[in-house]
Amino acid sequence: MSKTFDKGTGIILLIISILFVLESLKISGSAYGSAIGPKTYPLILGIILGLLSLRLLYESFKSKAESKEKADFDYKKFGVIFISAILYVFLLEIIGYVLSTFLFLLIAFQVMEKGKILSTIIISAIFTFGVYFMYVSLLGGSLPKFSLF
Amino acid sequence: MGTIQFLMDGFATALQWHNILFALVGVIIGTAVGVLPGIGPMSGVALLIPVTATLTSGMPTESAAASSIILLAGVYYGAMYGGSTTSILLNTPGESSSVVTALDGYQMAQQGRAGAALSIAAIGSFVAGIISLIGLVLLAEPLSNIALEFGPAEYFSLMLLGLCAVSGLAGKSMTKALIMTVLGLLLGTIGIDAVSGIARFTYDIPVLYGGLEFLTIAVGLFALGEVFKTILEKETEDGSIAKISRVLPTKKDLKDSAKPIARGSLLGFFIGVLPGAGATLASFFSYITEKKFSKNPDSFGKGNIAGVAGPESANNAASGGAMIPLLTLGIPGSGTTAILMGALIMYNVQPGPLLFDDHPEIAWGLIASMFFGNLILLILNMPLVKVFAKIIQTPKKYLLPIIIAISFFGVYAVQYSTFDLYLILACGIFGYLFTKNDYPVAPLVLALVLGPMIENNMRRALTISNGEWSIFVTSPLSLVFLIIALAWILIPLILKLTGKKVIVNEEE
Repeated sequence: MSKTFDKGTGIILLIISILFVLESLKISGSAYGSAIGPKTYPLILGIILGLLSLRLLYESFKSKAESKEKADFDYKKFGVIFISAILYVFLLEIIGYVLSTFLFLLIAFQVMEKGKILSTIIISAIFTFGVYFMYVSLLGGSLPKFSLF
Repeated sequence: MGTIQFLMDGFATALQWHNILFALVGVIIGTAVGVLPGIGPMSGVALLIPVTATLTSGMPTESAAASSIILLAGVYYGAMYGGSTTSILLNTPGESSSVVTALDGYQMAQQGRAGAALSIAAIGSFVAGIISLIGLVLLAEPLSNIALEFGPAEYFSLMLLGLCAVSGLAGKSMTKALIMTVLGLLLGTIGIDAVSGIARFTYDIPVLYGGLEFLTIAVGLFALGEVFKTILEKETEDGSIAKISRVLPTKKDLKDSAKPIARGSLLGFFIGVLPGAGATLASFFSYITEKKFSKNPDSFGKGNIAGVAGPESANNAASGGAMIPLLTLGIPGSGTTAILMGALIMYNVQPGPLLFDDHPEIAWGLIASMFFGNLILLILNMPLVKVFAKIIQTPKKYLLPIIIAISFFGVYAVQYSTFDLYLILACGIFGYLFTKNDYPVAPLVLALVLGPMIENNMRRALTISNGEWSIFVTSPLSLVFLIIALAWILIPLILKLTGKKVIVNEEE
């Protein structure tokens, strides 16, 4: 798996470096007398990255195939938590910090391990209200409020 | 004013009641971070930057920066203490620099000497912390005076040296480490160019004009990357925890470990000062040294107390030593110090030779607080070690989602944008994929912090020389730095070609 990842990364990085070089050529040159403008540095970096990704590709094609180890991945658990994290960010400024955080923690706790509904509710509530109270009431910061209506 | 006077002023800063509190909180959280497997010092410090930024938001900038750096540094060296606890009790190191401690420490625990191992680790860490601080006090003035003579060309070469050193030692493949470094530098160019005011790689997206925030990237890559890894990969449950009976070491234990502690401290300190070589390498070297010095090397790996005392002192001394290049030269030598530097920059405080002149309160306050923090850690780790050992049992079920929630809260409280939250999620995925495939992420963060400074110094140097690139090799100091930088990259390559094994520094 590692070898295919390296090949993929090598190709993607090569494309990125080419794009970077092309894009930095488009940046307008020096604004004043200096010989070195804003484009020189990214241009050099782009070229170095290109060379390194070629080297990575060379290495990944040369190296022998590794023995594959079959790891046990928990895609389902991860997927649910990741998607609820995205939803959390999306809803944060709509339904407010308190509600979105509470819901996210509740879902994530239950996904990690089912059961013990009461204790997960209590811990989510303590964390959410604790942070909100400390930050907003004690330190005078502001967090998004419920703003649906 | 002499060094002593500055140090006294530093104590005056560090002993203000809120700073005592900050140091205390820092080292307690640090110990917890060290004990918890999965969160290393780097993600711990990164996670706490936004929290400290929030806590200090009401204070004037200078004292806010001093207080938060006191807390963050406390997390850093506190983690070095805590890491030994799980190594000894569970045979699972809480962070990578305690890997060698597990070799003899766990054996000692099996023989019922867990308490002695833990307390020797704490005493060794304390002695090493104090020795490295004395070194820091003595070296700070002269080093920053030298650094004051540096021009942009010297700085450029020195920073390049820092990057090369970290990439040369990080991870299994140097190509991958270098790629991560260059990627970090490239990410650093996004945003408005500081010299000419031209927007680069922003494509008229408003959030990109300010550039990518270092904090967002660091929290995403380290903290979330680690969380995602633990969720994805089902880990087998850890073994049982060894019982701690007697906490105080016997006289014989103390006598046996006095010399290893002294050797480990000095060795660790000098390794820590070197850029790129961090706590992990220091503890490793110390273990080898102790084995060489020992009268019966066969007893190592079977519960020899020197195998705990030496490496534990070395990794703590290294974390003190690593503060030297950061504070005096403004060049972080490791991932964690890069994050500390990013935190200082967030407060508009530029680490480097001028730090001691411009912000003595921060520089000396930090140093003084470290004396104090090490003392707290010694107290915390001796009688309270049983309490900390309990933290290991925190169920992951609650820990992981809460880490996600803390990262979100922290980044949002500092950045006020949901763009940064999507960014940390993406960085979390990348962080997981990169680490899994041996692409070290520490060089990327280091490069992201150093990138803008490297570019500015390069352009200033070239402006001075009218575009002549030879300025970097005609200045003798700059030439020396460049040669050393090249050596960091080439020597491991040559060693590899000749078939020698190269020790790499895998800092989590």
